[in-house]
Order: sequence, then C-alpha cells, then structure tokens
Amino acid sequence: MSNAQIEIQLIASLVAIACAIPGTFLVLRKMAMISDAISHSILPGIVIGFFITQDLNSPLLILLAALTGIITVVLVEYIQKTGLVKEDTAIGLVFPILFSIGVILIAKNANDVHLDVDAVLLGELAFAPFDRLMISGVDVGPKSLWIIGSILVITIGLLIAFFKELKVSTFDAGLAASLGFSPAILHYGLMTVSSVTTVGAFDAVGAILVVALMIAPAATAYLLTTNLKRMLVYSVCFGIFSAISGYWLAHWLDASIAGSITTMLGLLFLTVYLFAPNKGIIAVLYREKQQRTEVLLITFLLHLKNHNDERERHVNHLNEHINWQKVRSKTILDLALKNNMISIGNKIVSLTEKGDEFTTQAIDYIITNEDAQIEHMKDDFFLFRG
Amino acid sequence: MTISEYFSLIFSDYTLRTITLGTAVLGAVTGMLGSFAVLRKQSLLGDAISHAALPGIALAFLITGAKDSNMLLLGALVSGLIGTFWIRGIIKKTHLKSDTALGLILSLFFGFGMLLLTFIQKQPNANQAGLDKYLFGQAATLVESDVWLMTIVTAICLFVLLLFWKEFKMLLFDADYTKTLGFNTKLIDVLITSFIVLAIVLGLQTVGVVLMSAMLLAPAAAARQWTNSLSVMVFLAALFGAFSGVFGTAISASQNNLSTGPVIVIVAGVFVLISFVFSPSRGLLFKQIRFIKNRRDLELHKTLAFMFHIAETHDNISHPHAIKILNNFQGYTKNTLQKLVDKNYVTIVGDHWSLTEQGFKTASNLYNQQNENNE
Repeated sequence: MSNAQIEIQLIASLVAIACAIPGTFLVLRKMAMISDAISHSILPGIVIGFFITQDLNSPLLILLAALTGIITVVLVEYIQKTGLVKEDTAIGLVFPILFSIGVILIAKNANDVHLDVDAVLLGELAFAPFDRLMISGVDVGPKSLWIIGSILVITIGLLIAFFKELKVSTFDAGLAASLGFSPAILHYGLMTVSSVTTVGAFDAVGAILVVALMIAPAATAYLLTTNLKRMLVYSVCFGIFSAISGYWLAHWLDASIAGSITTMLGLLFLTVYLFAPNKGIIAVLYREKQQRTEVLLITFLLHLKNHNDERERHVNHLNEHINWQKVRSKTILDLALKNNMISIGNKIVSLTEKGDEFTTQAIDYIITNEDAQIEHMKDDFFLFRG
Repeated sequence: MTISEYFSLIFSDYTLRTITLGTAVLGAVTGMLGSFAVLRKQSLLGDAISHAALPGIALAFLITGAKDSNMLLLGALVSGLIGTFWIRGIIKKTHLKSDTALGLILSLFFGFGMLLLTFIQKQPNANQAGLDKYLFGQAATLVESDVWLMTIVTAICLFVLLLFWKEFKMLLFDADYTKTLGFNTKLIDVLITSFIVLAIVLGLQTVGVVLMSAMLLAPAAAARQWTNSLSVMVFLAALFGAFSGVFGTAISASQNNLSTGPVIVIVAGVFVLISFVFSPSRGLLFKQIRFIKNRRDLELHKTLAFMFHIAETHDNISHPHAIKILNNFQGYTKNTLQKLVDKNYVTIVGDHWSLTEQGFKTASNLYNQQNENNE
C-alpha cells in the first residue's frame, strides 16, 4: 500500500464516521429525506462561496454552504406551515429549485469557475491526497483529511456533550420540551451538524453519496438493534467497513471510489435486510408462517373442544367441515400430535388432557377479551412451534 | 437568439420544434401523473425512482453494448420498478420508516449506477460517451422518435386514466372504502405507480435524474392551489407542466450556456410561487387579506358592543359621550369610528359621539346573537 492509498482510506473512513453519527439521529427522527434535500441544495451555497473565496477548501465556503443547508430546512418548514402542501412535497419542491439555481450559476460562469457539477455530485476521492495542506512550508497531510477530521472531532464532542438531550428529544419530544431542553435548538443543531458534515464530505464523496453514507449504515444498524448506543457503534463500524472495502473494490474494478463505497453499503444493507435475526425479511416471513400455523392449530383445537360428539370428530367429517387443503391439514395434525394435544384412534380425533386444559384456558381468555394472553400460553404448552 | 426570435423560429426550425414539443409533452404527462403522486403523499417517490433508474441505464448499456435510447429507457424502467417495489417491501416488512427507505434506495441505487458508469467509461468501447447526459438531461438530444414515444405513452396514460378514472379517484381519497366495494386495490395501486415510474423514466433524457422529481411535483403542487376538484387539478397540472416545458426551453435557447433541465425546473418553481401567493382561495396573499378583514370586523363589533354598554346606562340612547372615553378601549381606532359613522350606527358631533337608533338595535342583536351562540 502506498502512502496515497492509506490516506484515501483514512479520509473515506473519517467521512463515513462523520456521516454515520448525525445519520443515526436523522433516521430515528424520520428526517432521512432532509439529508437528501440538504445535500442537493448546498450547491448554490458552494458556488457563491467559491466566487467569494476562490478556494474549495476554505472554512468560509463550508460555513456559507452549510448556511444554505439550514435555509433549505427553514424554507421546507415554512412552506409546510402554510398548509398549502404536505411536508414531502415541500421537500421535493425546495431542493430541486435550489439545485437548479446552483447548476445555472455554474453554467453561466463556467469560464471563471473551476467547478464542475459532476464533481459536486460525485466527488473524486482519488485526487484528495494531491491537495496538501502546507503549514509554514511543511507538508502536514491532505487538506480534506484535516477538514473532515476537524468536523468529526466537533461532531463527536457535541455528541458526547448533548447525548442525553439528543436521546430524550429523539424518542420523546414532548418529554424533552417539558424537561426544559429546547427542541428547536436541538433540531437546528442537528441540522447544522448535518449540513456542515455534508459540505465537508461532498468534495470527497460527492453530494448524493453523502446521503448514502448518512442513511445506509444507520438503517442497517437499526435492523439489528434497538439500543441507541449500540446503533451508533454499529453504524460507525458499517461505515468504516464499507469505506475500506469499497476502496479496494474500486481499485479492483478501476471505477469510482464513491460509487464502490455506496455499492458496498448496498450489499451490506441487502445482507442484513435478508438475514437480520429478528427484523430481516427471512425471519419476518418465517415468523409470519409460524404464526399462521399456530393460529390454525388453535382454531382446530377449539373446534374439537366445541364438538364433543364422536361423529363430529371423525376424520372425514372434520375434513368436510374445516375444508383445509391436504398438506395444510397434515401439518396441523402433525404439530398437534407432536405437542401431545390430540390423539387419533380409529379415525376419531380426540383432545388429550393437555389439549383440553389448553383449550379451556384459551376460551377463557377469548371470552374475557384478552386474546393477547394466548401468546404466553403458547410458551407453556407448545414443545414444538409451527 | 432572443425570445422573440425563438418564437418565430419555433415553426421552421426542426431542432427547436422537436425540443419544444418534447418538453411540452413531457411537462403535460408528468404534471398529470404528478397530481396523483402529490395527493397520495408519495411526492418523494419520484425522486427515489429517478435516481434508482440510473443503474438500469448503465446495465442496459453493458448488456446490449449499444446506445439505443429505447433499450436504455427499458433498463431504466425495470430498475425504477425494482427500486419502487423494494421501497414498499422495506416499509411493509421492517420497522424502517418511509423516509429512510426512500433515501436508502435513492442513494444506494444511484451509487451503484455511478460505479457502473465509471466502470463503463474505462471500457474500450467508443459508444460509451454521453451516458452521463442522463444525470442532468440534455433536451438538445431529443429527436422526433423520442417525441413520438412520449406522445404515445401520454396517450396511453390518458386513455387508462379516463378508463379507470372512478377507481383512481376513489383509491386516492378513500382506499379502505374502495377495498370494501370489491375493487382490486392492489392492481389499481400498481397501475398508477407503474405509470408514475414510466413518466419519470421518459423525462430522464430531457431533465435528468437529479431534477426529475421537481417536474413531477411542481406543476401538481401549483395546480392544487387553484382547485379542489381532481379533474380540474389534473388538467391544470398538465397545462402548467406543458407551459413550464415551453417557457423553459425558450429561455434556455435564448441564452448561452443554459441547460434546459434546470431552467424548466425554475420556471415550474415560479409557477408554484405564483400559485402559493396569488391563488384566490388558498393563496397566502388573499389569506392574509381575509385575516386582516376579519380582524377589522371583529374590532368594529367590539367597539360597537362597548358603545352599547355605555349607552345602555342612559335613558336616552342617543345621549352624546366624549370620544375620549373610547381611548382606553383597545378595539378603538379613528378608522373603526369612521366606519361606524358610514354604516349609520353612530353620529359624531364635535368630539362627542352618540349611538343612533339603528346602531343601538344592531348592537343589542349582536349581543343576543353572541349569547345564543354561547349557549
């Protein structure tokens, strides 16, 4: 690994961490699309900032662009407050218009600006190590490393200082307000941090991929845990992992680094989306199937309980009466037998003592309208689940 | 070229005519279908779909190796649909909220698309140049067959829309009721979503991935302000969309260095701004005027009621009182007093006022009415 390669991976990882922290809160506060809006609408801020400073890495430009981000949020909230359109429409209206203004500003001044819309949208990490920061003639590292590093330090500092406030206001805004934490300050504080991070990261990974780095790790972590601290740690880890693996994917394919990082994030999300232990699709589908079988089993047992007459408990009669498909009835019968709920003799199905006890209790719960209690009963009675 | 030159050239110049027609048709179809997206609160879906279409374009190019715009659009359509249904899957099956799902699919698909695009650019294939025009769109690349394609799709959309108008309308406003009536809501839902995807994909070549969502939303959001009827809204949205297309093209053609997509979006944004401010029933301007008018009426009533209470204590209701005593009362202004005089409720002699017979009657009724209302 050459020096430049290490530096690129370091910058990518720092960007990923800096994005994952505000991203977690954006996802939890259901404001993920705001980050998309900010990432687009900082464009005019960057262009105007560039006219003034003539330097893409100057702190003034970052502040100006971040200000545009805040303006976006305020505009969206203002439009929403007028009640003329819904919030999502307000977001969808504001950022394309601001973005268009940025594009036109660039196009009209194409001759004086060394700024390319593609570069703003996509960024180019590969060139980051060539823009060095010189302090009194000594090379101290790439400029973007310093910028994103300082943003990260500030973000972590704010996170530690205001963790409690953020946590309360994210999960219970009303409680936070009544405890005396101003929701407005926290809201705009978070928006400011997101804007600054977006601007700081845009020239490394590009405006749209900042969104991916903010949302994807947090969403992936959210599928795995419901603990805020763990979610933060997970999303930071996912961010770093995809930053480094994405770099090597890009190296191997000779393609855009930012694109590969996002692709790695996508693969990571897909894997977790499919295989997460409790909330993954496979687990959800399996649970739904299990619940369906168990509901059928309870229906079947209750039916038996209701029809004591031997004639009515004959297999043929039951078949006609309940009218399930063959496979399904076999599954249910097997499950009932395995759980020792029924016994079959001479083609007559009867409840065992255990089955009888189960159904009596279940009926009790159903008539007192406490169906939810049946879930706990299942744990007591079922040896094998559906 | 100036704008007037543009309008004189529009009928003779092939390129200008094609582009103008193309953007107008595109504006109309996106406005039409955008109305449904806005009313279904799926405004940001358009943004997600347009970004999600990018990998489809790149993959279609990688597979066919040719830059046939129809094949690329087909790829975009497929990838847009996959994105849409994945978003639904995430919202339905996990506890992630819709905004997270939208942002996730949008950025992940777009990133993957970028990976493919940069990968293609390194390939030894001379054809690859120009794929990135789908990022921002280039109206100038429109040819007559593209316009025909748009027109046909618009016609099909319009036909289906009219055919299932009742169902669409009902699903829009009361999905549960539609289901209980026995309509296949899933099918209608898929139909309308697919149309929205189709409209977005059509616009990619002209307006580009990034700005497509505004084309969908802006005309519809503007139209919404002028009417409460769905049919009028759809019609107005189509009209606004078409006009933004034409004006946007005109402005960008009359200036150097202006790409069409952003200009169209800004023109559409101006439409929205005008509608927000000047719409008679919902607009901010008239709302403010109504607000001020109501407040004045209220002040007038308050002053009258106050006068009534003073006059009540006297045997002669028209007994004159000094204007000064009104000064402590908040609702009092010179204007309200003048208005009361104009309405013949009050007469003023020197710096004294007195209630007229009519004024006394109105004021006592006012009071009674309020009492009745309170009960």
